[in-house]
Amino acid sequence: MIAVGYREILSLVFLCAHCVSTLRWLHMFQLNSYKVGVQLRWLAQNKRYWLQDNGIALCVFPFSFLVSFLVSFLAPDGASLASWAFILLFAGQCWRNRPCRMKMKKPLVYTNRIKRMLATYTILVLGTVFLAFRAGSLEIQATELAVAHLLAPGFILLANGINAPLEKAINHRYVEDVRRKLREHPGLMVLGVTGSYGKTSTKSFLHQLLSSKYDVLTTPENFNTTLGVVRTLRERLKPYHELFVCEMGARNVGDIREICDLARPTHGVITSIGPQHLESFKTLENIVKTKFELVDSLPKDGAAFLNLNDERVRAEASRLDESGCKTVTYGFSDSCDYQARDMKVSVEGSSFSVKLPDSTEMRIETSLIGVHNITNVLAAIAVADFMGVDRRDIIVGASRLKGVPHRLQLICRGGDIVIDDAYNSNAAGAKAALDVLALFEGYKILVTPGMVELGPRQNELNENFGAQAAEICDFVILVGQRQTKSVYNGLLHAHYPESRIFVAANLGEGLSRLSAVDAGARQKVILLENDLPDNY
Amino acid sequence: MKIRVGVFFGGRSVEHEVSIISAMQAIAAFDRTKYDVVPVYITKNGDLFVGEHLDKIEKYRDIPSLLKKSQRVFFHRDGDRFLLVQYPMKRFGSSVRAEIDVAFPITHGTNVEDGALQGYLKVFSIPFVGCDVTASAVGMDKYLMKALCKENGLPVLNCSRVYMKAFYGDKNGTITDVEGSLPYPAIVKPVNLGSSVGIRRVGNTQELMDALGYAFQFADTALVEPAIQNLREINCSVLGDRESAMASECEEPINYDAILSYEDKYLSGGKTKGMSAAKRKLPADISLEVRQRVRELAVETFQLLGCNGVTRIDFLMNASSGEIWINEINTIPGSLSFYLWEPVGMPFTRLLDELVRLAFKRRREEAEIVYSFDANILAQFEADGIKSGIKNGIKNKKVV
Repeated sequence: MIAVGYREILSLVFLCAHCVSTLRWLHMFQLNSYKVGVQLRWLAQNKRYWLQDNGIALCVFPFSFLVSFLVSFLAPDGASLASWAFILLFAGQCWRNRPCRMKMKKPLVYTNRIKRMLATYTILVLGTVFLAFRAGSLEIQATELAVAHLLAPGFILLANGINAPLEKAINHRYVEDVRRKLREHPGLMVLGVTGSYGKTSTKSFLHQLLSSKYDVLTTPENFNTTLGVVRTLRERLKPYHELFVCEMGARNVGDIREICDLARPTHGVITSIGPQHLESFKTLENIVKTKFELVDSLPKDGAAFLNLNDERVRAEASRLDESGCKTVTYGFSDSCDYQARDMKVSVEGSSFSVKLPDSTEMRIETSLIGVHNITNVLAAIAVADFMGVDRRDIIVGASRLKGVPHRLQLICRGGDIVIDDAYNSNAAGAKAALDVLALFEGYKILVTPGMVELGPRQNELNENFGAQAAEICDFVILVGQRQTKSVYNGLLHAHYPESRIFVAANLGEGLSRLSAVDAGARQKVILLENDLPDNY
Repeated sequence: MKIRVGVFFGGRSVEHEVSIISAMQAIAAFDRTKYDVVPVYITKNGDLFVGEHLDKIEKYRDIPSLLKKSQRVFFHRDGDRFLLVQYPMKRFGSSVRAEIDVAFPITHGTNVEDGALQGYLKVFSIPFVGCDVTASAVGMDKYLMKALCKENGLPVLNCSRVYMKAFYGDKNGTITDVEGSLPYPAIVKPVNLGSSVGIRRVGNTQELMDALGYAFQFADTALVEPAIQNLREINCSVLGDRESAMASECEEPINYDAILSYEDKYLSGGKTKGMSAAKRKLPADISLEVRQRVRELAVETFQLLGCNGVTRIDFLMNASSGEIWINEINTIPGSLSFYLWEPVGMPFTRLLDELVRLAFKRRREEAEIVYSFDANILAQFEADGIKSGIKNGIKNKKVV
């Protein structure tokens, strides 16, 4: 009778421990975009988290063998002590994994999909608990539960697999909903924006400039997948919208085409092509091909806006044949339809002249910093002018442009100047950010965790970044020992003194070192370059 | 997808009925291939109603029974949706009775044309048609409007402002003050009413006294202005915003009593046709130069007051000297002045189109586009500068 009581308590404590741990795996699964392959790869790379997560539960095995061995020798009274030990082990595991211990940058979002997954998960885990409960003895029950705990990441994947047909049906319904909504909105112009980097800033500038003439809907934040576009259109498209600016992101060949099939862009912008997400794309050619799926899907009377400053876009643009839609080029060279020239870049902002297709010129002043922001603004100017926005409105709009938070955003904080580029994580952008840092007078400090998801070239690019930083920075704080190794090497190869590098275990420690850095009488200028999501 | 327009009309105002007429005219004129129109009736108590019978003028003969067939609602914003929600709410199922994208106040007079309704709508950040709060408020207060025009060199008549309490506290003193500043004959009017309500022309002390008493039935402040000899009235409408605005055709209302009274304006012309049927000369019988001058002054006044949408500006003219004064502005004119636009080639349907466009344009201009990301490493700075952020960073040691 008493043993049954222990076994019930054990079941309950296990449930708590399992749920707590599951929420973490679920969170990671969400950050890995619900992709089973990505999650499995992530798990393989991060076995230590799994060990941390299960450290105590793992003790159950030897312990339960020991107990069953002892109990068979000693009096049956030993069972109560063993029961308490099992219960405490699981309780300890639960406490160790308690959610408030982790400070997440982007916490788990309880979307409907997550709720459905949790519902299926609950059935699975209750079934497991029930089966273990039916086991012959306490030790067997504890062993089964320990195995279940070790398999916590698998429970989520299993729940996801069971829900897959349902999710597919729901997504299909949403997509159909959006198609119908778009059919009922025949006058809507759709502007696709894609590129390896620069697309979020360009999208924001497009929104700001085009709004003087049109009611513009823009995909928010980084909603740039098919489902993100579906959600935007479902939830935000209003009858009065005249133009939809749609950021299109890609991790795999065909991603852009899929978004285009749905959103039917009439115009498109390609901002840049770089080695982003090389892990999933495999080759640069695949990236080029994928980005140009946007141009391929434009109607004949549409227009594609191409950034000729980008060598890969330029190369591909020269290959486009006459049969497609109109192409409009922008960049710094003479051959561009919209050419920026006489550029002046300073810590206060940038100014430049734009030569328009009709050979007239307009002078643009913005408070944005960085040369590559000029390219982004130029893209927005080209589209706005092409779409008939009054040129005076373009000049006024450009002078009022606001930068996008965490994308080369200038912030003054407590006497220090902070260049917040936390959302950037590509080599070209990092170089551009260092160039901006170089413009400033003062004691220049770089805080960075390096760059990730760059495939086989990751180490090389990070080393280059380190070498570039060595030329400009007075102090470098590297966040995270493991993935900053190559930046560190890059710095040392460039003969950067080790005494001016600090490797922090995490961002908190990095920032604490930051305030301790002695800049002498000089003003600190801090570049925050890249911030990794929680799954790194 | 059609744009859903909520036409707000009625309200706690002496021009309640006129507003119903104006609203019915507009509702009938909307292009139904582009718009879904939701009539939102504001009762004299300020309750909101929606319902399928609210767009038929004949139903307003018996308002209590009309209200019984309609649904009382409250206005509510849910995210980016603007909803008219049934009150009291249903226990089960949705209580949402209508959703609108833009509000279109077609209301006249106090509490609804004077910035109050506009402010109410603004709180919800719904785009709305017509003048914003400030322009509506200044446009309603004839004294403020004149002061602003005078400051900017636009022609207005001198006037004397009389407060009700001051008048009843010391009638003779007040009258002496007024008589000292203005000659007879004079015009007495409430400071904040349109549609000629409460206005009288006076020729002596006794009449002045009576007229002030009459005006104070409608407002607590009255204006006394010199009456113009050989008076002609010219009205002109303006459409646009601060950036660009244009003037309509000019009309001349025909006056029997030297002033267009409320009865002349709305009641003598027929029961349902509103201002368009009031007796008038359209276009006004004036010289090209006068027409030009009136239209220019109208646009100047419109932009000076920061108006938006369609307004009507009423002028006084001395027929023999040709002098012109700005008399008042109607920020939501009767019948939306559509009859002044038809002669210049803008049918009512297009006028409404243009008004809705201007509402969205203003909303876009006001919007601050901010993109913010919740994954923000700077959140750690924010508590109180860098130092506390660091403490937090250490305390909440990140495991992943």
